Amino acid sequence: MTDLGLVLIGLFLPLFPFSMAFNAVLERVSHPLLRSALLLAWPQVGLWALSAHAAAIPSWLALWALATALLYAFRLLAMREMGRWSGFLATSAWAVLWLPACAGVETSQLWNFAAAFSVPLALLTLLASVLENQFGAAYTGLYGGLARRTPRFSGVLVISVLAATATPVFPAYFAMLHSVIVSQPIPAAVLTGIWLMWSWAAARLLQGLIVGPAEPSPEHDLPIVTTWGYAVGLAGLAVAGVFLTGGSL
Amino acid sequence: MDQLVVLLPTLPLVSALLTHLLSGALGRSVSRISVAGGTASFLIAAILLGSVLSGDDVSHLAAGDSWGSLLFDPLSVLMGLLIAGISLLVRIYSVRYMAEEIGYARFFVLLDLMTAALLIMVAAGDLLTLLISWHLIGVLLYFLLGHDTRSTSAYRYGFWTFITYRFGDLPLVLAAAVLFHTFHTWSLPEIFAALAANPDTTTFYDLPVSEVVGALIAMSAFARSAQFLLHTWLPYTMDGPTPVSALMHAGIVNAGGFLINRFAPVFAHTDDVLHWVFIVGVFTAVIGSVLMLSQHDIKKSLGYSTMGQMGFMIMECGVGAFSLAIFHLIAHGLFKGTLFLSAGGIIGEARDDDGVPKDDLYTFIVERQPARNRQPWLLMAAITLTIPVLVLLLSHLLVAPNLFQKQGAIILLFFGWVTGAQLLFATYNMRSENPWRLVALIVFSFIVVVIGYTLISHAFDVFLYPDPEFGTKLYQAAGIDFSWFVILVAFASAVIVLGWLRAYYTERSQNGRWRTPGHWWRNFYALVWREFHILDIYTGLTRGVLAASARVNVWLRWG
Repeated sequence: MTDLGLVLIGLFLPLFPFSMAFNAVLERVSHPLLRSALLLAWPQVGLWALSAHAAAIPSWLALWALATALLYAFRLLAMREMGRWSGFLATSAWAVLWLPACAGVETSQLWNFAAAFSVPLALLTLLASVLENQFGAAYTGLYGGLARRTPRFSGVLVISVLAATATPVFPAYFAMLHSVIVSQPIPAAVLTGIWLMWSWAAARLLQGLIVGPAEPSPEHDLPIVTTWGYAVGLAGLAVAGVFLTGGSL
Repeated sequence: MDQLVVLLPTLPLVSALLTHLLSGALGRSVSRISVAGGTASFLIAAILLGSVLSGDDVSHLAAGDSWGSLLFDPLSVLMGLLIAGISLLVRIYSVRYMAEEIGYARFFVLLDLMTAALLIMVAAGDLLTLLISWHLIGVLLYFLLGHDTRSTSAYRYGFWTFITYRFGDLPLVLAAAVLFHTFHTWSLPEIFAALAANPDTTTFYDLPVSEVVGALIAMSAFARSAQFLLHTWLPYTMDGPTPVSALMHAGIVNAGGFLINRFAPVFAHTDDVLHWVFIVGVFTAVIGSVLMLSQHDIKKSLGYSTMGQMGFMIMECGVGAFSLAIFHLIAHGLFKGTLFLSAGGIIGEARDDDGVPKDDLYTFIVERQPARNRQPWLLMAAITLTIPVLVLLLSHLLVAPNLFQKQGAIILLFFGWVTGAQLLFATYNMRSENPWRLVALIVFSFIVVVIGYTLISHAFDVFLYPDPEFGTKLYQAAGIDFSWFVILVAFASAVIVLGWLRAYYTERSQNGRWRTPGHWWRNFYALVWREFHILDIYTGLTRGVLAASARVNVWLRWG
């Protein structure tokens, strides 16, 4: 595969400006399940194409990917709509995958890393649809007070956002750590800066949604069975983090 | 004993899970689970400390191949007992204090998780376990500070803590990456052994690994222990529940001192890092104390008091007195925890009766009435300057005859001298029927404090760093060229002696009359009162970054 072919992979393992294609597609897909499926499948296509590339990935491509990840992390700070927020975080996180790929990390491990970033974002997309149904928009800073209004939903939302922004012991944490370890000092320092911006954006998203005075509204909260479903899923994700992505370190 | 080491952090995790699962069935009495778990943890920590004191060997327990290990050593068991103790007190206090709050069970779940994270942090036997617990502490503290989800201000200030802690996580991640890249292991004992065998090991760009890692670890410690420029979160996090403030000021903020001690084998091989640690610590101690004195809000004042104490603790590390920093953080943790937990009760009682005895101290501090007839100023100045230094020197020579070979110890004596002199200076102004009795009492209490402090700190040194060669190495790493050291000490002594003499003389010549402060002084006071505008600068920067981010999104049409 030529360098041009590698650049085309940048549609799926985002490289700016090709990354804009993914965000445009994500915006046009309205069904939450389809959006989740898109988030799960998109980087895997890129990794599948990358696995066909036998030669070493040039270092300039890793720098391009790092710049893309940084750009989308920076843009994430001002993003208030949950759907686009997930798209931007996905773009930033998937771009990070180029660094371990460039360092020669095995493709099977990269698939795990991509899933580590995608699964919590897919869960977030489903949660965003709940908000859209209830309020007409999943928009941080618009209504707030969800922790009082719908405590079960808020609990699941908080943990999903933490999982998506690479908090221990979720798999994305180990994926980020692995990416830092295999990088040279300056890219590693930039990666930690990107990580910091994700945390900043996560806190802004959560504060605008869960904080604030409101009356309890149990009829709008997640049903107990659904909450348990999410809880088991997130617990499974944490276990996968410790044993799958964490186990590789 | 190994099972107990594992059980210590596991118990709070189990307690958190049970509290969450049984909160619906048990209601408010679910807090008993947390208190029971906390009591058991405290007892286990006490047994572990007893076992180390009785001479049990240091051990390294590994759950996984490369990470997930715990250390059983003097530092981990000592810190474990402190955390388990303070955490238990906070939980007992919270049972009634939080009874009318929404999210009662959630509060205890978070407290238990925080205790578990702290216990894992102090016992972590590898870098990954340490990183995970270090990161989680910041996240859990954010949610504990924002326990009242109706309060936007609690979350706003909680966010400052969170983002500063996250900022502090990053150097630790980079330090771990450098160590792993160099030694190909996560295990702390293995890394320290490899570094001791080859102290000149280099890493990226041919830089010495001890210097690079030492600097990164120090940066991480600065953020966690609220050193200057990374301190703004500390005085503003009082909107959280009082038990959380107690836990934060008594335990969590001390983590910087612990981290530097954990990496003492790295710092022992550094050349310059400890000098910077000392400078940052001194600067923070001075700025924190100045800001504390200028604040009208008592809670902010307490926050800045903690900042000053943290500066002093970091400074102690900077002079090589690592074990003293641990003693300091324990002492500070206990007294600051007591202050926070008793604050509510004292306020309630003070509404009926302030209970303050109208003695000499009261008239001087509360009513601000200086003495009409003073003792001869020159005599008092001589007593002020000489007695503390004599007491300090004699007590230190008693436990450590080779004291003067350690520059760090001399610097600490210096601080002790200034503190003692300040105490004596206060008596000069106090209205008292028998001033010599007052001076005698102050000198006696000073002797008791100094001897107690000296003996205990010596005991800590022997307990934490039993190898005298290693302790000497730490002091050597913190030392500077001897001639420069003598010049600096002589200069500082001269400044202090002249300052005290001037202060006595000015007090005598003014004779209690109030003089209007000058223009420069008023401007300086305004600057200090506005906390050097650091918050304004940070707020401006934050708004700038967010505005720039929004602008880029508009340019790129949100795609």
